[in-house]
Amino acid sequence: MSITHRSVPFSLGRLGIVAGNTFLEAVRQKLFNFLLLLAVALVASAQLFREFNFGSSELKFISDFGFGAMVFFGSTLTIAATAQLFFSEIENRTALTILAKPIWRTEFIFGKFLGVFAVVGVFCALTTGLLLALLYHRENVLMAANAEAFEQGRIIHYGDLVLMGVLQWMKFGVLAAITLLIASFSNTNLYTVVMGFFVLVICHLQYLARDAYGSVASLPLRLLVRLLGYVFPNFQVFNLADQIGIGAGIDPAIFLRVAGYALIYIAVIGGLAVYSFRNREI
Amino acid sequence: MTNPNPAPAIEITGLTKDFSLNLRGIKLRAVDNLTLSIPDGQVFGLLGPNGSGKSTTIKIILGLLEPTVGECKVFGTPSGRVDSRLNVGYLPEAPYFYRYLSGRELVRFYGRICGVSSKILPDRVREVIDWVGLSAAAHRRVGTYSKGMLQRIGLAQALVHDPQLIILDEPTAGVDPVGSAEISELILKLKKQGKTVLITSHLLAQIEDICDRVAILDHGKLILEGDVNELVGQRDRQSLIVDSLPPTELEELRGWLAARGHVLNAVEQPRTRLDQLFLSKVSRPKKGGDIT
Amino acid sequence: MKSKLINFRPLWTGVLVATVLVVTGVVVRPFEEPAWVFVRSKQPALKLDSLQGALGQGVTVGLLGGFRAIVADLFWIKTNSVWEDNNLPATQTFIKLVTAVDPRPLYFWQNGARMIAYDMPNWRITAGGGYDAMPKAQQRLIDEEQSAIALKYLNEAFGYHPNSALLYVEIANVYLNRLKDNESAAEAYRMASMQPNAPFYAARIYPELLRKMGRNAEAYAWLKQLYPTLPKQIDHAKGVTEFEVQSAMAPVVLSRIRELEQELNIPESKAFTP
Repeated sequence: MSITHRSVPFSLGRLGIVAGNTFLEAVRQKLFNFLLLLAVALVASAQLFREFNFGSSELKFISDFGFGAMVFFGSTLTIAATAQLFFSEIENRTALTILAKPIWRTEFIFGKFLGVFAVVGVFCALTTGLLLALLYHRENVLMAANAEAFEQGRIIHYGDLVLMGVLQWMKFGVLAAITLLIASFSNTNLYTVVMGFFVLVICHLQYLARDAYGSVASLPLRLLVRLLGYVFPNFQVFNLADQIGIGAGIDPAIFLRVAGYALIYIAVIGGLAVYSFRNREI
Repeated sequence: MTNPNPAPAIEITGLTKDFSLNLRGIKLRAVDNLTLSIPDGQVFGLLGPNGSGKSTTIKIILGLLEPTVGECKVFGTPSGRVDSRLNVGYLPEAPYFYRYLSGRELVRFYGRICGVSSKILPDRVREVIDWVGLSAAAHRRVGTYSKGMLQRIGLAQALVHDPQLIILDEPTAGVDPVGSAEISELILKLKKQGKTVLITSHLLAQIEDICDRVAILDHGKLILEGDVNELVGQRDRQSLIVDSLPPTELEELRGWLAARGHVLNAVEQPRTRLDQLFLSKVSRPKKGGDIT
Repeated sequence: MKSKLINFRPLWTGVLVATVLVVTGVVVRPFEEPAWVFVRSKQPALKLDSLQGALGQGVTVGLLGGFRAIVADLFWIKTNSVWEDNNLPATQTFIKLVTAVDPRPLYFWQNGARMIAYDMPNWRITAGGGYDAMPKAQQRLIDEEQSAIALKYLNEAFGYHPNSALLYVEIANVYLNRLKDNESAAEAYRMASMQPNAPFYAARIYPELLRKMGRNAEAYAWLKQLYPTLPKQIDHAKGVTEFEVQSAMAPVVLSRIRELEQELNIPESKAFTP
């Protein structure tokens, strides 16, 4: 009998296999079915705005609600899918089987991350695509009906809306990494989901702590506020859809900066999840 | 690179594993100073009551847990290292696999994780699925499998990368005697192929039939280890099985033995073992069918 | 106790995670800051004090969390529903709430002002017995009161849209249509025409109003200055579109100039030459 002796270096291939399997699980568990519901809701709300006769501002309403739905459902999907796809491995003890293979825990965790990131990516792409199609259709109709409101040409910057969709996806990436970090040490799916939402809210309000820093008088409280401002990533920086709306252009430099910000956080928080997961007794 | 293996399949030295339970530092000692060597090519039974430390020991061998003290090597490689698992196949207790994959997809997935080359992977997957007798059900989702089928697909995934050491944690738990006998047969086939098999089981009769050596753990400590025949066999006694004798002839035999200084200790009616009776009466399922 | 704590791994994992996050926060701050400053610059300060009475805690968190646009949209839809019921106090409250939540869309200011200036007098007069029953002087008083509210509201909008021609146009329309105050309307149209991206009609209505007030010479001077600045033919190189040429209506402006020359008896020798 002979046995194999070779080193097992970190492999993107294995990471991809885990990611692919995670994605497949999401697909076969029909996680995408609710997208259909979302699509119906979006088209229905667009129909509702027509009733109000908002004129060209109808487009702003469609865009606001579209991105609002994307942020809301996307955050929910990200947290729930990350927790579910991670804990299904732990609770069903498939993690035991897979980690008993020659695989690094880094590959496992980042594979899980990439699988979820792909799921959320499909969600963002489909939602943005649907939103753009809806806006384009309505803009054409409105342009034909009311040329004066469009004297400067089309109101909607479609390219910018795509960038906003991409930034939402990046934000969901950071959120998925955070959820994975929580899951790496938590014992239950429910705890992970609750904590995930809690951190999501904090990350959205993080800037308040930054703003408050100057106005807090007591030194210990001031230090605490400053610490809070540094511990959590700032999610509002991704929220260009709300800040900019449909009209003004997005500076590519700002876009790259925000995307880079997300990637740094994904790498760091993902790394922490790996560290915490390595210590986990399975 | 492959080479003949001089090191034991598993070598555990002074292994202790504590679990921290809370901030006050209360700990649970699951394995206590265990030293064990399992040579290559043997079927080795690890026995013990629930909570005796069997599963913890297995998890340490698989690198899923780190020892608190001591070391564990698999074919000479420390078990914490990823490459120590290249030669190990593992079937967990009551396995529950990705329900959304078909049997074939599942084995293929694990084969890819183990780095089986894509050239030989399809053949290898077919081979192991056939080997465990699940060819007819390979296209079905794992979620539809019975317990016995899950065990067999579990065995297939454990074997897909042709490991030298196969670790089976309670492979027959919850499986009926027919399924259990089939798994025993598969283990004996592995033994014939020269594989090392580490098995834990509550069914001591089964262990007795297939294991070369056993170790018994209690409260994390090794309390007994040795060759099965040596441990169970009574060398100073023999049993003779003859046709039924009338009382007069039996008395004559007793006298004949006494004249030579021997004692007839017991006269009993031999019984078939119940599991053997069961297996002889119950029809075996076709390959790929349900064996629960 | 201390030594036991040292051995408790989850504690140290937690400390390490927090430390790494703080260090990351400090390191990426300079990278993130410019983007955040940009986002902040697009976000007018939220005057929570003025909103607190009207909002539940959930809505407040939504606003602070960066969902002002959608919250304002929802309030605007609510405004529309109370407007359909001719509910004056509620409509007035919601109009102000919408722009307090999100003052960025001009649409809210324009349409809010229209509801105040044009619909509310109608409701008040109807509630007071109708146009036939209510004395004209009282109707005029109501118009003046509502117009004053609308104008105050529109002037507030300049705080967020300082160079908006459309806001000046809105103000001009209130003066013109509600208060029949041609002079103030003319001034507002003049202001509108001087803003960037002003619609061409503002620069044409201003001299029309001057003519109505008998200030033909001023109108003539204005139009003479205006005409050379108008796009007359499509020029893609300069970004002049067909729509611009059509809405600039240079021939119409020229014919007004000719009409005024006749009215002012300007000799042909001194006539405007395009």
